[in-house]
Amino acid sequence: MPSQPPLPPLLASYVSNLPDSSLTLVSSILGATSNWLVLRFLHAALSAPNPNVAFGSDEPQNGIKKKVVLVSFMRSYEFWRTEAKRLGLDLARLADKQQFAFIDGLSELFYAPQATSTPPSISPAGLGSPRTTLPMRSPPGAVPGRSPQPVPTARGVRGNVTTKAEPGIAKKLQFSGRGLASLDALEKDISSVIEQQKSSMEDGDELLLIIDQPDLLLAATGPSMGIGATEISEWITALQQSAHATVLTLATDAPLIQNASTSDVKMATPLETEHAALVIGLAHRAQSVMQLRTLDTGAAKDVSGVLRISRGGGLNTSEKENLEEREALYFIQRDGGVRVFGRGES
Amino acid sequence: MAPINLSHRRTHNLLLISKLLSLRDTASPLTLVLDSLEQPATPLLKEYIRRAKLSKVHVTLVAFETLKQPDGVDAFVSTRRKSPADIVKEVSAVYQPVAASNSSRRRLILIDSINPLLNSKRVDPGFDLSSFLGSIIAPTSPSAKIDVSLVVTHHQDVPELPQQSPYSPSPISVLTYLATSIITLHSFSHVLAQKAARDRSLAPPVFGLEEEQEGILLGRLDRLAGTGQAEGIVIELEHRRKSGRGVLEWYLLPPASRYSPQHPKEIVTLLDDNVLYNPPMERDPSAGDEEPTSTFELGLTDRQRREREGVVLPYFDAQHNDGPGEGGRILYDMGEEDDFDEEEDEI
Repeated sequence: MPSQPPLPPLLASYVSNLPDSSLTLVSSILGATSNWLVLRFLHAALSAPNPNVAFGSDEPQNGIKKKVVLVSFMRSYEFWRTEAKRLGLDLARLADKQQFAFIDGLSELFYAPQATSTPPSISPAGLGSPRTTLPMRSPPGAVPGRSPQPVPTARGVRGNVTTKAEPGIAKKLQFSGRGLASLDALEKDISSVIEQQKSSMEDGDELLLIIDQPDLLLAATGPSMGIGATEISEWITALQQSAHATVLTLATDAPLIQNASTSDVKMATPLETEHAALVIGLAHRAQSVMQLRTLDTGAAKDVSGVLRISRGGGLNTSEKENLEEREALYFIQRDGGVRVFGRGES
Repeated sequence: MAPINLSHRRTHNLLLISKLLSLRDTASPLTLVLDSLEQPATPLLKEYIRRAKLSKVHVTLVAFETLKQPDGVDAFVSTRRKSPADIVKEVSAVYQPVAASNSSRRRLILIDSINPLLNSKRVDPGFDLSSFLGSIIAPTSPSAKIDVSLVVTHHQDVPELPQQSPYSPSPISVLTYLATSIITLHSFSHVLAQKAARDRSLAPPVFGLEEEQEGILLGRLDRLAGTGQAEGIVIELEHRRKSGRGVLEWYLLPPASRYSPQHPKEIVTLLDDNVLYNPPMERDPSAGDEEPTSTFELGLTDRQRREREGVVLPYFDAQHNDGPGEGGRILYDMGEEDDFDEEEDEI
């Protein structure tokens, strides 16, 4: 099979040129994950304006530089770096150029490394340390060879924010306390990175904020910590205000959505209710909703899943609603290339 | 339904929706808009704002989920990190300068979604929805008489959290109890599909979340958009008059691209008047008992009909004579063309 263009032509208009202060929701289920689509968003915003890509002609690179801040709650930096490399994006280099910032919401969200003051050269080794339970956290040996980029982030107010500057990672989020105060602290951390990115921005530049699976926060804290759907979506609203466009990925697996939606509400657990309220509430706010699901008719050799793009319930600030709703199939190839095609086409 | 009824509804109910949407005579102080992902309330809110602009009504948007001030909104109240009491205060504060200049006596307050407020963990247990809404509507100073209309949007598909007190009614029951009009929104293409299924006695199809298919949040695909087919939103209105009598009606609001923003005339129509929903009968129902056509003349001439009516059937005659035994006779009046055969008829 011939190698695919990094950005499938069918998708190009949906993942690039997101309207101002818009919210795009990407929903995924276990069998149809959203990573590839997030990478397409990254690529659309970050790829160099060289005309060798297929969509180069219709990409209006009229001097608008785009920056991306990626907040990932589900996957490590390593994952995104290797996957982006397959698309021809060097995230480490882009981070050096202040075009990209990665915020790690996974590795130390609930885990405070006690050796915060130790120099970073020790922690990758992790020799005999019983605490290194998550192997994906340690940076690979190759990376420290690169001169560690001193990340000049404004330090968070909390003392226990990690001071360790791992290359490429602008900040590691850490959850502390409970209720709104803890969300405020997370928000402050993220917006400090956004502000820092913005400081090198010129007029007309656009900053895209991608938050990968913020529903983890809800699932991990829950109503007992004073955090519910309303609080999380307010938190997202605050982050939205500082970005040009926001992309969210959320899980819409059946138990998380439908247990609470059916008439028998009494049976739903608090998590199911809160998660459904969060996802449906955000879909009401979103300008576009990209839903990923598996093929209705079962597994197929040449189809990975179905992508449905619909308009959300959000109030459009611009008068013209040019988002065309459509449903397409996609297929992720072995080399990471993705083909997006209509039903019946191949 | 009878055609007389339809014309009655056409005059009265169209006047009613026109009054409600244009906020005339404070026909409805509290309107509850129930929407879903399949048909969001956005087009209706835009229509409210458009009409308010035409009649120079002051528009306030209390934003629980809108990020930026939309066009046509005079005052934008963000609710982030605010207690309900603060929201009420701010809503009345933004109107103060306008009230002083006496430019407009009418005011429209839109709440884009009440769900975040109802589901909030921060709101203290003493929060009372009815007093919250009441204090928004109530005039700030009793001397200045302002007509306030409040439009509250509630997303039906967002699940409600369990009540803190099991004895208090759920927020949605409180809302439907308080509201003077309740507008439920439906997608026109879905209404058409469901009607088509009902007409064939099939189970009506469901869309979006109700499909209960994994990974589907929204079922709406506007395949018909742009073709001029099945565009617009269906408004199911329940209006409670002051007398207590309720009015139920279904309307159709065409999409905003169909008319200019300055269009002064009423654009909402009855759903029953729509050609797609209620296609015109192929034949007039009054001429329904027409004979089937054929090459033979199956009808009766006037003379034949008269003679047929003149025939007295035997059992009528049998009822006149009393007593048994009289029944078995054959009554027959000889016609002139009859040939009486003496032998044959002798018994």
